[in-house]
Parts: sequence; structure tokens; C-alpha cells
Amino acid sequence: MNPYIEGMQALAPELVLTALALIVLVADLLTKGKDSRRMGYLTLAGLAVVGGMLALRLGEPSQTYFGMVIVDSFGTFFKLFTVAAVAVVCVFILSDKNERKNGIGEYYFLLLGASVGIFFMVSTNHLLLLVLGLELLSLASYALAGFHKGQRKSAEAAMKYVVFGGLSAGIMVYGISLLYGMTGTLDLAEMATLAGDSIPTGLVPQLYLSAMPVGVAMVMILAGFAYKMSVVPFHFWTPDVYEGSPTPVTTFLAVASKAAGVAALLRFVGALFPVDGVDEIIMWYGDRFGMLIAVLAAVTMTLGNLSALRQQSLKRMLAYSSIAHAGYILIGVATRTSEGFDAAMYYMTAYYFMNLGAFGVLLYFESALGSDRIEDMRGFGWKSPLISIAMVAFLVSLTGLPPTIGFYGKYLLFKVGVAEGLGWLVIVAALNSVVSLFYYFSVAKSLFLKESNDERPALSQPLFAGLLTAIGVLTIFFGLFPDSIQELVEMCSLLGS
Amino acid sequence: MENILSVITFIPFIGMLIICCLPKNSVGLIKGVALVATGIPLILATQLYFGYDPMAGADGAYAYVEQIDWITGIGAQYHVGIDGISLPLVWLTSILLFLGVPASFGIQKSQKAYYALLLLLEVGVFGVFISLDYFLFYVFWEIMLLPMYFLIGIWGGPRREYAAIKFFLYTLAGSVLLLIAVIALRLQMTDIAPETPFSIPAMVAAASEGLLTGASLPNGGLLLGMEFSTWAFWFLFIGFAIKVPVFPFHTWLPDAHVQAPTPISVILAGILLKLGGYGMMRACFPIMPVAFYENAYILAILGVISIVYGSFVALGQTDFKRMVAYSSVSHMGYVLLGVGAMTVWGAEGAAMQMFAHGTSSAAMFMVVGVIYDRAHHRDLNGFGGLSQPMPVYWGLTTICFFAGLGLPTMSGFIAEALTLVGAFQSDDIRFQALVLISIIGVVITAAFLLWAIQRVFLGTLNEKYKDYPDMNFREIFCMVPLLILCIVFGIFPNLILDVMHPSLDHLVTLLTAGGN
Repeated sequence: MNPYIEGMQALAPELVLTALALIVLVADLLTKGKDSRRMGYLTLAGLAVVGGMLALRLGEPSQTYFGMVIVDSFGTFFKLFTVAAVAVVCVFILSDKNERKNGIGEYYFLLLGASVGIFFMVSTNHLLLLVLGLELLSLASYALAGFHKGQRKSAEAAMKYVVFGGLSAGIMVYGISLLYGMTGTLDLAEMATLAGDSIPTGLVPQLYLSAMPVGVAMVMILAGFAYKMSVVPFHFWTPDVYEGSPTPVTTFLAVASKAAGVAALLRFVGALFPVDGVDEIIMWYGDRFGMLIAVLAAVTMTLGNLSALRQQSLKRMLAYSSIAHAGYILIGVATRTSEGFDAAMYYMTAYYFMNLGAFGVLLYFESALGSDRIEDMRGFGWKSPLISIAMVAFLVSLTGLPPTIGFYGKYLLFKVGVAEGLGWLVIVAALNSVVSLFYYFSVAKSLFLKESNDERPALSQPLFAGLLTAIGVLTIFFGLFPDSIQELVEMCSLLGS
Repeated sequence: MENILSVITFIPFIGMLIICCLPKNSVGLIKGVALVATGIPLILATQLYFGYDPMAGADGAYAYVEQIDWITGIGAQYHVGIDGISLPLVWLTSILLFLGVPASFGIQKSQKAYYALLLLLEVGVFGVFISLDYFLFYVFWEIMLLPMYFLIGIWGGPRREYAAIKFFLYTLAGSVLLLIAVIALRLQMTDIAPETPFSIPAMVAAASEGLLTGASLPNGGLLLGMEFSTWAFWFLFIGFAIKVPVFPFHTWLPDAHVQAPTPISVILAGILLKLGGYGMMRACFPIMPVAFYENAYILAILGVISIVYGSFVALGQTDFKRMVAYSSVSHMGYVLLGVGAMTVWGAEGAAMQMFAHGTSSAAMFMVVGVIYDRAHHRDLNGFGGLSQPMPVYWGLTTICFFAGLGLPTMSGFIAEALTLVGAFQSDDIRFQALVLISIIGVVITAAFLLWAIQRVFLGTLNEKYKDYPDMNFREIFCMVPLLILCIVFGIFPNLILDVMHPSLDHLVTLLTAGGN
């Protein structure tokens, strides 16, 4: 068959998603934005189609198209993840009482556009396509962060996001250009294997020549990933942008956008520095690189948790908590083993459930109270028991206590950490989860331990409450019976099998 | 019944689900469900206790074992069973939780949530006592923190929020260290017992063959410059010691006790502290026998410090409840001293002390609750002469305090005497010195309990208190069974020692083998 047509078939989910984005945009224009809810439902239906197409591909062997797009289960896993996250974000937008319901068709268009960016970002070993995907995601995210353009905070968030995003993307591209200059290729797989008998190309000869310039390039490239994942020292934008953006957008940034960063980083590290590398010097260098990531992990989780301790606003607290969780995930990356990567993927899944849940509850409180201050939620647990109990499940999971999915994720990360000789990092992470208990449970304290002095009745949003409760139940269910997710993760493993 | 342990464990869970579905206002129905959901396990556990063949626990065997695959991805199993060490504690749990329901009838605030959480707590506690799989053990261990946090935090005293989160943070700090050690053990078990890598009996067996040395871990098990056997032992030990609590990890206990409502204090003192001692005997010492053997005297020293220090601090308290709380620190010190001595008598004393303290301190907290419900304060110096308006209360309190100070014919006496004699039997001369020091604790304990009786019941009657009603039927009903247990096991200690003996004998054999 014509390789071009074949490639197009392989990229069908991306094409459908792009078409969907355009349809939503045009349809909203044609209906003059009268009832943008319809666009939301259309998006949800489209996402269901894309999700179905992706689910059918799970377990298929890895294939590369056009020399740069890899279609494999690992990518499909993160694409499904994105679709599921964006679908929940759409439901959030539809149930957000503060959101104007008219003329916001672009909301869905931008979300879908960002998803297309993620789709390419997670399915390539080619640095050029990686940067393109990353930029597409970033551009859509900037616009989303400033979606409430009338509000000062939202505008400020968008501005900060643009400045930081531009800076770190610039650093990353510069690093890539250095790497390209040294190795003569942008394809990570080629870079790792090219030996170049006559002309010294590829990573290995370059490292033998001098490790220093490669190190500079690597650190610079890492900046781009660190920015997407909110890893220290590229985390500064996170609290302000998370706080200023509309809550559904924050949810998207915290869950889908971060997962994209994780997936791209896993591909990068997995291609260049797997623990059983091809060459001695790669292994030597990989150890150093792994150690760098381990140190970043320790600093990130500690800083995120300590900063979260003092937050008054739930939204800001969740922002710092998402920084801390990026640190936990890095444990799996730092081991550079198949098990470590699987643990990171499992943890992302756990993170998906507990953070979607927590942000959903936040959205609910914002609608009901008009405030995201933890103090204002006093006694609310007795008014909306179902949602508040679900919130406790999310908090328990975020802390990493059984019987929740967060505990199992943390267990897997700790296990690979201990097994790969990162015991010190695991101790840091374990003590961090004790610290995090304090601030997570300040929410539970406010909900149940304090007396309410607020006479306002609870909001009645049965559908939304049902969704949150369902996420809460799944958080506990997958904590007690995690086998199905673990099998899925192992099937989609990047390095394994 | 084959799966009687699961039935006992999960009936309270079913009760909790039922309570969650009931309307908030049908308080009577909620209380009834709570009584039934704690009553059925009590009946079953009593049957289990008296129908138990002690030899079923000999040589490290377990009775009523259930073993089903649970999380195949990591080899965790639903593996439960009991032996002579856990059975008395399972029974004690069922007794105290059942008595805890009528003891809670005075609580008015959000009763539906209260009883639901109480039942969830019972599930967690039963689960820990019956688990033979370390993963399952850990899950139950943590599950019970959550209801405890809310029970103290919602229904507690004025500083309840502080006490609740302090309790939670302390215990969690211990249990994350525990988790790291469990992971390191699990990784070594992959090769030794690939089918059941989390099984506690398998770990004990591997340890007694000297296989769990950390050699298969990266860097040979070295962590922060410590050998595997060192750090893993201390991580496990600290995880359990915080729960006991052993000096210097005890500071959460007075706060939690003082702020918790009476029935929760009763359960906290009666059962939750036992989890620490039980955890050490089940899942720490026999798994790390060499490290235990080397450090046994340090543990015994910590135990003696707890005994003496706890009693002195109790002596200095003016808050009735705080005094009883510190007496728990003192009494639980015997557990460490007894096990540390590595003699059969010492271990029996330690195991019996857990049961004896579970009954006597639970009763003591009920004593405090009775007077607090009437006077709404707990200042020991503020009472006086209460023997006149409340003679029944006086009588029961006296029995209860005598049980606490270890009067002969009471179970506390047998337990403490066994512990001290057992420790004295040790070949290690240091233990004999420790026994002599801990005698100070025995004397001081007698002193503060008798002094408390004097201050509360004797002397001139304060006019304010002369109309106080005596204990009502509900209060008597909650306290008397505990006192009966104190006396029965004090006079017929073999009723409990026979049950425990084979298992403890095996435990001591394992521990002393650590030296060879």
C-alpha cells in the first residue's frame, strides 16, 4: 500500500481529533455562539469516538510512520489518558455555574487543539516533532489560561504562562540545536545507536570526545520537560497560573498537560539512557543523568510539599501539590528501568483519578461558595456529605494512604526506588508524604471538624455530584484491586516486553 | 465455619454500610445496627476463643487460615489466620468495641457518622490482628487511622483538631518507615518465596534460615550507611513503637487521649496501643531475629524508661484523664521488657500484659468518663468525698484501680509478675538490673492510683457534688464485664496462658535462635 495512505490510517485518531476541533470552531461560528452547550456535547461525542479508536489499538506492535511518528501502545496509553481527561474537563465546563454558557465554543476548540499537540508530543522520538507538539499544546494552553479575559487574575496567569513557556521552550530548543550539532540527528533512536565509523555522529562518539557539551545540552532540554511537568526550578509559573486560570483549565493543565510532559520525558530518557544501555559510556553517563533526575525529584517534592503547607486557597494548594507529585513521578524516571517507567505510568493513572476528583470538588465549592479558600469550606461536609466524603477519598489518595489508588501508585514507585538503589530518595519521598498529610487534611478538617457559620444551602447538582462520587469510588476500587490497571500499564510499557 | 475470621472482620463493615443507608434521624435504629454489628463478632470471637485448641498455634502454625490471591501483580494475598498471640487480642477487640457502643449512647452529635466510623475502625483493627500477609497487614494498619482521626477530631474535646492531626502524623511517620522496610523485605522474598512474597510466616521462616540479610538488595542492602539488618529492624520497630507508644515516641498519646471522647479513649487505650505490641511480636522481631537479639537490651531499656518515666509523669498530673493516659505509657513498657528478655515467662507476661492492660485501662477511662459526664471537668484536685453520693462508682473505681496497679488476684498482677520474673531469668545480667529499676515504676504506679482515689473519693464532700447521681445501668454494664475479666484472669491465669503458651514458646525459640 502507499506508505502515505498507510500513515494516514495509522494517524486516524489524530485526524479525527483535528477535524473535530475544526468542526466545533466552525459550528460555533455558524450558530453565532448561541448555545455553546451543544458544542460541549459534540466534543464529548467526538472524544468518545476517538477514545474508541484508540482503545482498539492497544496492544498492537510499534510502528513508525513518516520517519517520525511512532504508533505504539505507550503512546496510545497517554492518548487515551488525554482523551479521558479532556472529556472530564468538558463535563466540568458544562457544569460550571460561573461559566457563561454562550459564546464559549472556542473553549472546546482550544482544548481539542491542545489535545492534538499532546497526541503528537507523546508519539515521537523525533525532537522536531516533539517541539512542534509541545508548542501546539503550549499555545492553546496560553489562550486557555487567559480565557476569562475580563478578569485580572486570568490575564495575569496567561501572561506569566507565556513568559515562562517562551523562556523554557527557548532553552529547550537551544539545547536541541546543540545536540543536533554534536550528533548530526534529531531522531533519538538514531542518536542512541549511531556509531559513525568514519564521521563521529551519534551520542556515543560525542561522549567519548567530551561529556561536557552533551551535559549542557541535556540539562537545557530537560528544562523544557521540567516546565511542562512543573519540576523545580521550572515550577514558578505553576501556582499563579493554576490559580488564575478558570478551574476546568487548571484541571487540564494539572492532569493532561503534565501527563504529556511525563510521557515525552519517559521517551527521551528511555531512548537515550536506559539502564542497560548499549555502550559503557552511555551507562556511565546514564547513571549521572539518573542521579540528576533523582536530585530534582527530591528537591521538587520537598519544595512542593513545604510550600503547600502554608496555602489558604485550595486551588493554590493543589497547584503546589501537583508540583510535589511531579517529584514522586520522577522517582520512576530516575531508575531508568522498565519497572520504574511502569510505576511512573501507574502513578500518572492514580494521579488522573485523584486530581480530577479534587479539582472537581474545588469547582463545586467555587460554585457553591464563590470562594476557594479552605477556611470558607467550614462545616460543608455535613451539608454535602457525598461530595465531601469523595473529597476525603481523594485527599487520602493524594497523601498516598491505603486503600486508595494513590497508595498503590506510591508503593510501586517506592518499590522500584528501593530495588534500584535509590533508598535515600524513597525515604525523602516517604517523609514528604507525612508532610503532605498535614495540608491535605487541613481540607478534611475544614469540611468535617469545623462548625459551619454559613447558612447557604448546598448546591444541588446531581449529575456532577454523581460523577465525583463515581471517581471517588474508582479511587478506592483501584486501590484495592489494582491488577487491571497494572496489566494495562504493563501492556503499554515503553521499555518492557 | 471455615472462614470465620473473615466473617468476624467484615460484619462490622456490613453494619457500616447499613448505617450509611439509614436516615440521619432514626437514631435508635442506628444504635441498634451498631450493637448487632459489634455483637455478632463478639459472639463469634467468644466461641472462637473457647473452642480454640492451643496446640493449633504450636511451632508457628496458624488456625482458621484463609489464603486467596488478591493483587497478583505484586503477589499480595488475602491471607489470614490466628494463633495464640492474636486470638486473645481479637477477642479483646470484639469485647471492647461491643462495650464501646453503649458507652457512646451519650454522644449527641451526628450519631450516624459516629457509629459508621466506629464500625470501620473495628474492621481495621480485626484486620491487623488476623493478617498474615504483610501487604494486607499494612492496608488494615492504615485503614484504621482514618476513622480514628475523625472520631477524635469531630467528637473530641476543645483541642481536638490538634490532637487528631498529631495522632495521624505520628502514626503515619512511623508507618511510612514501616512501608520502606516491608518493601525491602518483599524484594528479597521474590526469590525465596515467589508465590507468596508478602507472607509473614514465609518471611519468618526465611529469616530463621538466615536468608533475609539484604544481600540481594542493591549495595548489599546498605542504606544511609547502615546495614540492612540495622535499618530495617529500626524502621519496623519505630513504626510499631509509635503506636505502643514507647518512650520517646509517646508524646501524641496524652493529647489524643485527653481530647478523645470517652468511648474512643477506651478503644484507643484498650486496643490501638496493643496493635503496636502485637505488630512487634508478629511482624518485626521474628522477621529480624538477629538484629533483635543484638538490640534486645536497648528495647528493654526503652521499656523500663517508659515504665518509670510514665509513672512519674502520671504522678504529677492534675488532669484525671491525662494521668490515666500516662499510666498506659507505663504499663505498655512491660511489653517491651518482657519480650526483650527472650524468656518464655517474659513473653507470656508481655502478651498477658497486653490483654490485662486492655481491660483495666479501658475500665479506667470509663471511670474518668463517668465523672466527666457529671462534673464537666477532670481536675483531680477539684473533687473530694465522692464516695458519699456515688458509692457504686467508688467501689467499681477501686476495683478498677487495683487492677491497674497490679494487685494480686488481678490479671495485671500476673502479667507484671511474669514479666519481671521472666526478665530476671534472663542470662543477661543487664536485665536483672533493669528489673530492679522497673520496681520503682510499680511503686509509683500504686502511689498515683491510690492518691487519685484519695483525692476523688475521700476527704470532705464538695457541696457542688452532693446531688450527683450514682452510675446508671448503662455505665455499670459497660464497666463490669471488664472488671470481671480482670479478676477471672487474675485468679485463673491459665485460661489465657494456655491459649498463648505454644505460640509464645515458638516465638521465644525463634528469637533466641537469633543469637546463634
